[in-house]
Amino acid sequence: MKTKLFFTLSFLFFTALIFAQNTISGKVVDQKGKPVAGANIYIDGTYDGATSSETGDFSFETTETGNKFLVVSFLLFETFKQEIDVANYKDQTVKLRENVNALDAVVITAGTLESGDKARVSVLKPLDIVTTAGSAGNIVAALQTLPGTQSVGEDGRLFVRGGEASETQTFVDGIRVAQPYGATMNNLPTRSRFSPFLFSGIAFSTGGYSAEYGEALSSVLLLNTQDEEDHEKTDIGLMTVGLSLGNTQKFKKSSLSVNMAYINLAPYQAVIPQNVDWNNPYQSLGGETVYRYNFTSGIFKLYASFDSEKFDLNQKNVNFENPIRTDMNNNNFYLNSSYKGSFGTGWQITSGVSYGYSKNKLKYDITGVDSQENAAQLKLKLSKKFSNYFKLSFGTDYFITKYNENVADNIALDVTNGYDSNIFAAYTEGDVMFSKKLALKVGLRFSNNSLLNENHIAPRASLGYKASKSSQFSFAYGDFTQTPVVDYIKFSKYHQFESEKASHYILNYTFTRPGQTLRAEAYYKDYSNLVQYDTRDIQYNSIFNNNGSGYAKGLDIFWRDSNLYKNLEYWISYSYIDSERQYKNFPYMATPSFIANHNLSVVTKYFITDWKSQVGFTNSFSTGRPYNDPNQTQFMNGKTKSYNSLSFNWAYLLTTQKILYFSVSNVLGTQNVFGYDYAKNPDPSGVYQRQAVVPTADRFFFVGFFWTISQNKNENQLKNL
Amino acid sequence: MKKIITLVALFVVVISSAQTQFEQGMNKAFGLWKEGKNTEASALFERIAAAEKNSYLPNYYVALINATAVFTEKDKTKIDLLLTKAQDALDIELIKDQANSELYVMQALIYTGYVVADPMTNGMKYSGKVMEAYAKAKALDPNNPRAVFGEADYQLGGAKWTGVDTKPLCAQVDKSIELFNTFKPATPYAPKWGLDRALEIQKTCK
Repeated sequence: MKTKLFFTLSFLFFTALIFAQNTISGKVVDQKGKPVAGANIYIDGTYDGATSSETGDFSFETTETGNKFLVVSFLLFETFKQEIDVANYKDQTVKLRENVNALDAVVITAGTLESGDKARVSVLKPLDIVTTAGSAGNIVAALQTLPGTQSVGEDGRLFVRGGEASETQTFVDGIRVAQPYGATMNNLPTRSRFSPFLFSGIAFSTGGYSAEYGEALSSVLLLNTQDEEDHEKTDIGLMTVGLSLGNTQKFKKSSLSVNMAYINLAPYQAVIPQNVDWNNPYQSLGGETVYRYNFTSGIFKLYASFDSEKFDLNQKNVNFENPIRTDMNNNNFYLNSSYKGSFGTGWQITSGVSYGYSKNKLKYDITGVDSQENAAQLKLKLSKKFSNYFKLSFGTDYFITKYNENVADNIALDVTNGYDSNIFAAYTEGDVMFSKKLALKVGLRFSNNSLLNENHIAPRASLGYKASKSSQFSFAYGDFTQTPVVDYIKFSKYHQFESEKASHYILNYTFTRPGQTLRAEAYYKDYSNLVQYDTRDIQYNSIFNNNGSGYAKGLDIFWRDSNLYKNLEYWISYSYIDSERQYKNFPYMATPSFIANHNLSVVTKYFITDWKSQVGFTNSFSTGRPYNDPNQTQFMNGKTKSYNSLSFNWAYLLTTQKILYFSVSNVLGTQNVFGYDYAKNPDPSGVYQRQAVVPTADRFFFVGFFWTISQNKNENQLKNL
Repeated sequence: MKKIITLVALFVVVISSAQTQFEQGMNKAFGLWKEGKNTEASALFERIAAAEKNSYLPNYYVALINATAVFTEKDKTKIDLLLTKAQDALDIELIKDQANSELYVMQALIYTGYVVADPMTNGMKYSGKVMEAYAKAKALDPNNPRAVFGEADYQLGGAKWTGVDTKPLCAQVDKSIELFNTFKPATPYAPKWGLDRALEIQKTCK
């Protein structure tokens, strides 16, 4: 018995002896030799390990023997794994390679203003689109508080850095939207068709963008629909200007959201004095729907929207004694389906199709203009990640546009104009991360336009350098081409037109700290090949050429801060621009009428806890804009007075799911003038009479009640306002 | 006979020493955590996780340590790092098992971390996700006191400015305390935290 016990004991003792301890020690450093504290060092598959100290040193004992894998891991670095001889690993230095995908790596920011949670350097938050006073849920109006944009009150579209509104293209999930705006004409501003509700990320590029995007001279606006809905809900909105209804359903692998809105401005027009005479108020009925299906390694999305708008009004016209009647009907449909997924090792595929249909029925005085546009795009993009340091993407695009218009005035013969355009494009782009501090993106875009009978190759490049933990510099260069706008090419014969061209040079500095962002950007844009014509208006017998040119240069500054005072957020945008063009029927280089040299926006939002309210103010200021006065010998010599508008909004939470919302634009009632229309012919005393272009009303006010019904009692529509 | 006893004894020793290794490791990690050595504790749990692929607990605690550290971390620049680490650890376990109520409570906690770090930016975006995660946790185990309490606690946190009625929420807190009192962890190291905070919140309810 005793011997047996002895044997057992000695056996156990031996076991302990067999598991003799070996010491593993060393130091963890980064590529520059600086110590890394807090790294986890261990023998793979065992508990034996240690955490590196402030000096990067580590030491631990292990009972393992022979050759084993040593692992060193730390979130900001790539995990290090090496086979070592456990008995002989002492005072070794482990050099960790930085993880270029880590949170603090450089991001190329030249030209891009991003919103959304995925953006590392985000200037706008998703909520901002809707809680910015004066934006009234219009994506474009919120973007106009950012630097680089011009607020053109009589138009409502995005004008970027000396470019016309048509030079900005809108993309939903990477696919172009041919008709992004509602109907507009004769100085009545339009708004973006898209409700901010369905989009989780917005990237607004004011220049120097990727080779993936073409047919845009100035800017691209990228809207991405949400990948998944949070939960099922119903939203109801009662407004002084209409009704809205939304519903979201979630299924096992898919979800469906539908939104409908009916807008009628009659009550508003009855209360607020109008500067025009309405026969029929502005009315619109619109809806949007998104369907998403999640596969194991990809997501399919279908986005569709339709809207129908109409209005009828009489406007004073300096050329006629009586006001002129405008009666407008617009129907629009847009469909976009896309698939995004991954396959193989490091491959990603994005493909999609879009179709847009727009039908306008316009009656201007006695002239009727019916126009129809059908536009489609096919897109395929592949990208392969070879390593954390190199990614290559390439793809093709095919744009088809058919436009047709019929002009009838019951006097002359009907006139029909139109065009068919097919553009094929292919591009390739490489992303190189030299280190966590230096990144490069180089791309090339080739396009072939059958209508214009021409080929183009456009190079693009951008570079990012991180100078310190919170600051970085970016530089971007790119060549861009775009088919002339429909007003010209509907008269296209024998491939007479050429694409318009622009080159961008952008230098950007970004400084970010939690709660603070400073962004300063200087740019130079060189325009060439712009379309010119020789008549007062664009018409079938105008003589066109592509000899126009121009430039734009300036400085954009953006500052956002939420640390100044609790519950207060604000941002300030300032843009300076100097731009001239010789295009259209300009006799020589002059600043176009949509450009104001200085633009300043201040946006504030303050949450008052005791009142359960968020209040916001937005002030937009710009210096005067040029206009042409035919009474003067010099072209574009006039300048309007400066523009100012102060807007206010107030959201009050009745309960979590019921919100009362109030907003008013131009609180101070500033009498703004956008420009002047001059008579075509001088009056008997030889003077050209004029008429000021002013807003349709000096103020816009809005009261709404929004109610959300869902399982989650915290969900409400604050984000839609 | 003696031989058999010896063999059985040896067998037991071997088994118990194998258990002891896991227990020792876990105990040591909990000790480090208690001492406030979060980095070391998290690192040790990570090492255990790498060696014990069959237990969700080590990764669960990696996530818990890093997610709860956010609530006391003053340096805002570190918050993303902590939450990313927590999420990475949780993701490893969520891929293996989508029917564990505790993992969804953990997920809700990580999302809450984002809300606490920057309510203005993340409040709206993550609130829905927090509630969804708690709903999943409750669906998988209606008697999980952490799910019942967490869901009520999160809504109470926002109640002072959203004006939501606190009475039913406080009733849920009371219910969770009952559940805490009858709760029996499935294994010695299974999650059992939460009662202290629930009692604290119960006081503020009254």
